[in-house]
Amino acid sequence: MNRPVFSVLGLFDSAQQLMDAIPAVKGKVSGRLETYTPYPVHGMEQALGLRKSPIAGMILVMGLIGALSGIGFELWTEAVDYPMMTAGKPYWSWEAFVPIMFETMVLFACFTAGLGMLFLLNRLPTFRHPMLRSKSMPLITKDKLALAVESDGQSLDVGAISALLESLGARSIEVVEQPPAAGPASPRFLFRFAVGVAVTCTAAGYLTYWGVKLLPKTVPIVHMLDQSRLNPQREAPFFRDGFGMRVPVAGAVARGFMPYQMHSESEADLLANPLPRTEDVLRKGRRDFNTYCSVCHGILGNGMPTLTAAYGAKPANLVSETIRGYSDGRLYRAIMAGKNAMTPYAAELSEEERWAVVHYVRVLQRALNARDDDIPKETRK
Amino acid sequence: MNDRSAARILSATAVAGLAGAAATGPLAGWERFWINWVQWFLFLLTIGLGCLFIVALEHVVGAKWSVPLRRVPERLSSLILLVSPVALLGLLSLRVLYPWAGPESLQDPLIAGKSAWLNVPFFTIRVAACIVLWLLSYRIFVRGSMRQDQHRDPGFNVRVRRFAPAFMALFGITLTVMAFDWISSLEPEWYSDVFGIYIFAGTFLAGLAATTLAVQYLMARGRLPGVVPDHVYNLGGFLFAFTVFWSYIGFAQYMLMWYANLPEEVFWYKERLEGLWGPLLLALAILHFFVPFFALIPRDAKGSPRRMFWVAVVMLVAHWLDLYWMIFPVIGKDPVFSWPEIAFAFLFVSTALLWIRRAMTRGADMPVGDPFLREGLEFRL
Repeated sequence: MNRPVFSVLGLFDSAQQLMDAIPAVKGKVSGRLETYTPYPVHGMEQALGLRKSPIAGMILVMGLIGALSGIGFELWTEAVDYPMMTAGKPYWSWEAFVPIMFETMVLFACFTAGLGMLFLLNRLPTFRHPMLRSKSMPLITKDKLALAVESDGQSLDVGAISALLESLGARSIEVVEQPPAAGPASPRFLFRFAVGVAVTCTAAGYLTYWGVKLLPKTVPIVHMLDQSRLNPQREAPFFRDGFGMRVPVAGAVARGFMPYQMHSESEADLLANPLPRTEDVLRKGRRDFNTYCSVCHGILGNGMPTLTAAYGAKPANLVSETIRGYSDGRLYRAIMAGKNAMTPYAAELSEEERWAVVHYVRVLQRALNARDDDIPKETRK
Repeated sequence: MNDRSAARILSATAVAGLAGAAATGPLAGWERFWINWVQWFLFLLTIGLGCLFIVALEHVVGAKWSVPLRRVPERLSSLILLVSPVALLGLLSLRVLYPWAGPESLQDPLIAGKSAWLNVPFFTIRVAACIVLWLLSYRIFVRGSMRQDQHRDPGFNVRVRRFAPAFMALFGITLTVMAFDWISSLEPEWYSDVFGIYIFAGTFLAGLAATTLAVQYLMARGRLPGVVPDHVYNLGGFLFAFTVFWSYIGFAQYMLMWYANLPEEVFWYKERLEGLWGPLLLALAILHFFVPFFALIPRDAKGSPRRMFWVAVVMLVAHWLDLYWMIFPVIGKDPVFSWPEIAFAFLFVSTALLWIRRAMTRGADMPVGDPFLREGLEFRL
């Protein structure tokens, strides 16, 4: 039974003989030229006229993509999505991001180089390459060099090629046939493969299970946990007062915060509301007022709480004439420092939110004490 | 333009530069004079030392490919002979430029703590010792190689191969001492462990760039028969690799100081990032890293004479800029570049070119006595 011919190959003794033979064969016969050598032979690409490998360009592009992904990911997570200040540096600290950018660049480039070369360009694993069944293969992997004329779809002129190779000094000629057509995806192969995977997984599972059960317990590597450090809310004999948590140094100011220094209401009158009266600010003020203030002061700010009088104290009527006469700074101080039975809301509301609430309180005051000319002309009766 | 008229022009520019440089002291101040002096002698000295390192590297690793090119760095390393007296005269700059050289500096505890190392007598001894060691090594490597042209004694290769590793250690120490003494002690409070390596990276690159240019000069005149693009390719490979090394070291030095944010470290970078120095540093990064790196990425670029010529020119300019960026900030808040700098450029560059022109006539163009010359000429990638 004759199978289609894959290639005709001749074995040569030296690289020089092989290199000399290539131009003599090139163009003389139909088919694709290919060489098989036990070691890389310099100048082979040029002799065979192979095109330049695209791997270099692939690596460059993937390296750049890796670098951009790395720095973009850091920028997004550290400065945009969840801004996090590390070591007192700005959110966007490109200096700190460069090493990781470099690593992701190398990672992408290396994977492209390795995997791209093996799987994309060399098309490994080619289990059924015809050459794997060649009788010359053991010699080629030892010390012989092979020049092969491979079929490019058409049938080869075996006699002419053999004669040509022999005339060029080939030691022996082999005609390599196409392997039988049945592929690795035959039902028999797939069944064996599935059984193999199942057996391996089961064995690995049981081995792990009994290994963990029977072998003496090894302590996992916990060096990072084992360091001497202070947990929050714990004692610390290291400090004289025995507290692990420290009070900031006197006069320390948190980044982005001005300390509140108004010690009395008359001093507070000096503060002006820094926020503009825009719709956006008022909207935020309403949200926070409804969340925190309306529980006692009422949704309209008129001292009619949603909680009943069972609460005991009588919440202030924010729209009363007295409080309408208060300055913005004094209202702010009430939120900041509390007033009478009211506790401070400094921890709940940020500086900006407090001022927004003050603005909103003014809106309520005006709304419940509207003058005639506040109503648009056409709707007046 | 022929060689003779080029020499006449160079002599004229050297004289013009000399006049300008002499006028700098009285007209623009002695600080300006000496800072230029230090800048320019270090520029030439690092080129010479880089070339000597290339010669020694060949002997250490027993490289064969570089044997046909070796005479070029050998001749260029004679710049050390030219610069040595200039460096010794530079000792006069100590009282003007170097804060630790005056007695009043001892009141600063940071400088007083370093006075055992930073004092005029010991500094002078170190400068002299470094020069003696370099000249001795020059004598062993270069004079020996020139003598081998006549007597063809292969024993020379054996002797220098034994000496070269010792030279490597000496070179590392003396170059670090030079970097610490002449450059970093301009601001004696500052220190950086990696500074010597940073200077080494620039030195090696400058030597490679100068060698590349000189090799092309000789090749264009047919004076290096048998040298092919494959040899130039290896120089290109070195240049390519060490642009990355330089930026790696430079960035690592910056990033560690940026992170730690210690006052006695960061002020050095602060001075060199403010005002126009910031854009200058950006230009340095582009010229010293991005341009040569991306220009040399393609495989064909490293063997291409045109590409290599421009990369080498850019590299020398960038090396000068590197020194300028490190040295010049000590005399003012903003970069200065005016007639004194141009005069010094004329003086030093013209003198150096005249010197190299003369050196190019000494001995054979290739180490004809080296037994490995043939093997080196046969080198192919």
